[in-house]
Amino acid sequence: MNSRTLLWLVPCLIVWAVLPFVVPRYMADLLVFTGIYTVAGLGIGLLLGHCGIVNLAQATFYGLGAYASAYCTVMMGLPSIVGFIAGAAISMALAYVIGRPILRLTGYFLALGTLALSAIASALFFEWDWLTGGTLGIGGIPKLDLFGFLLDRPSRYYFFVWIVAFACMAVAHNLVDSRTGLMLRSMRDSSTAAAALSIDLQTLRTKVFVVCALFGSLAGSLFAHHASFVSTQSFTVDRSISFLLIPVIGGATSIPGIVVGALFVTFLPELLSKLGDIHQILFGLALVAVVVLMPDGLVGAFGRLRTRLARRGNSNG
Amino acid sequence: MKFNEWEERKKMSVSSFIAKLAGATALVGLSAFGVQAQTSGEPVKIGAIVSATGAGAGLGVPERNGLLLAEKDINAKGGIKGRPIKIIVEDDASNPDTALSKANDLIFGQKVQALLGPSLTASTVAVGGVTHANKIPQIAFTGIGPAVERERKCLAHVLPPQRLNATALLEYAKNIKAAKIGVLHDAGYGNVVMAELKPLADKYGVKLVAVEKFEIGATDTTTQAAKVKAAQPDAVFIIATSATPFRNVKQIQIAQPVIAAIGSSSYEYVNAMGPAADNIVIPEFVVGEDPLPHQKAFVELYRQTYNSTPKNYEAAAWDAAHIIAAALNKAGADATGEKLCEAMKAPYTGVLANYDFSADDMTGIPISSFVFSKLVGGKYTRTPFRVAQ
Repeated sequence: MNSRTLLWLVPCLIVWAVLPFVVPRYMADLLVFTGIYTVAGLGIGLLLGHCGIVNLAQATFYGLGAYASAYCTVMMGLPSIVGFIAGAAISMALAYVIGRPILRLTGYFLALGTLALSAIASALFFEWDWLTGGTLGIGGIPKLDLFGFLLDRPSRYYFFVWIVAFACMAVAHNLVDSRTGLMLRSMRDSSTAAAALSIDLQTLRTKVFVVCALFGSLAGSLFAHHASFVSTQSFTVDRSISFLLIPVIGGATSIPGIVVGALFVTFLPELLSKLGDIHQILFGLALVAVVVLMPDGLVGAFGRLRTRLARRGNSNG
Repeated sequence: MKFNEWEERKKMSVSSFIAKLAGATALVGLSAFGVQAQTSGEPVKIGAIVSATGAGAGLGVPERNGLLLAEKDINAKGGIKGRPIKIIVEDDASNPDTALSKANDLIFGQKVQALLGPSLTASTVAVGGVTHANKIPQIAFTGIGPAVERERKCLAHVLPPQRLNATALLEYAKNIKAAKIGVLHDAGYGNVVMAELKPLADKYGVKLVAVEKFEIGATDTTTQAAKVKAAQPDAVFIIATSATPFRNVKQIQIAQPVIAAIGSSSYEYVNAMGPAADNIVIPEFVVGEDPLPHQKAFVELYRQTYNSTPKNYEAAAWDAAHIIAAALNKAGADATGEKLCEAMKAPYTGVLANYDFSADDMTGIPISSFVFSKLVGGKYTRTPFRVAQ
């Protein structure tokens, strides 16, 4: 880590550490959701930005994580960690079993395949009310307790969620920066060339899909312990689309871009809701504007702007 | 026309429109609320969360109308011990996660003394986690939901529990001597009522000869309706928040009486049913076309203000605002949440129903509060049938 990186990293960390204490509680709550959505969005970003796969099934894994935590803690009285592990194990197993056949598809067909998975899961969450509570959901999920320190308010839970988010970002960064990352990008840019280089496309895609499911499940468990309540309404196809928007808006190939995308989908609807019932239309327009005007996402657009300014500075100098 | 001239005219037309609107508003204010009582001082802030957009907008928009009308009415009658009441209404977009953020904003940002809403069960339970933990009184526009809600002793409900909705349907079936019932219900609200209906059916000596479920938002339920028809029931229950099953029942010419749960009673659904709405019976509370004596003043005021006829959800929101206002007047405008809860735990005669918030389910609506209405030509008519307590 060079001194230039430290120069911006240290102030960022200080801002991050004091933020929940200086903003109103509802903003701290939104920052918690931003952290949760960052974890879920990271998986989608890996698939979209590095494998070229559109995954519209993240709400399925998010739901599995949330229901596993809810069921283990409320129905079975088990410690919270069991819910996290159970959710992750089920999600990863499902991702592997479903991923093997579904990831043979490409392009629009693959996107539709994942959309179908999300729709099926959403219907099952409704139908299996003996397990999920159906429309009534499961309430009374306990707040997380870390060695006697109860994370019962957003300003406390914020730190836990963001530490998990940073850990996931580190995992994603290592994956992207490794030999596997190179293979992923070669597969995205030319699958034929990658196959010619003896890269097992099917296995590689499935592995990333499993990692994506793990992140989705973790985010779901974090959500369950924050909201203390889970119901089918939080795991619909709409939620999968929201998760897909995170890397699309922030920048699919950039890990910080996922945080920017998560901030966008969390804060913008909240800010626009002050403008009345047209807030959803305005949010839609903002999305269209970002996608059309900034195809590389907000982070990509910022990078281009910085380059342009640097060039102008050089030519003037 | 020159641009400046056009701009000038536009400004004039806008200003004259605003002047007319202000005049009309003042007129409505004077005629509807009579002479305004004076309120002064710091407003007493009450938060409200409704689903004004999204899937629950059919409930949330009428609820918001009811709340804002109640705010005017309470202030016109002197507010809370002379202080005005201010109801801050937020939209959760029919999403429990958003409802949670809105609740945090209202309670910790806006410092409201109580919370009204939300419109949907999932959001109500999610928000209940915050209000319960912080001892903030909450009056939900839903019936009691999962078991965890029974632990929340400062959470009142202004709509009946689903068991009561199921009982009302069976009472009417008994009245028309229908022993074999076919049921069409959706996978959401319908599922919850259905869970209560099954154990009650035996008690009423009713046999459920066909129970068909369909997805929320389904655009065609003909197959399910055909199965119900094939079972040759004496009557059909439709439990949904959608007009689709009603149209399908009409299309396949089911001739048996159709009894619908309160979830599809709003005019939005009735208008979407078209001619299929004819002769449907709904156990509900407010028949705007023929209100009960204690509902007449509310219905008239609502009509004057909004130029439309109110139904159950407008009345439920109106009641919720008045219930919290009554508790504030009793316990004091600056009373703590716990004191407000205590003040709320009493019988209350509302426009929608007679409540008793000291009941275990913090609702206490008796079956006798139901009226049974029949739809004729898209309008409700109140039938003489009532259930004694």
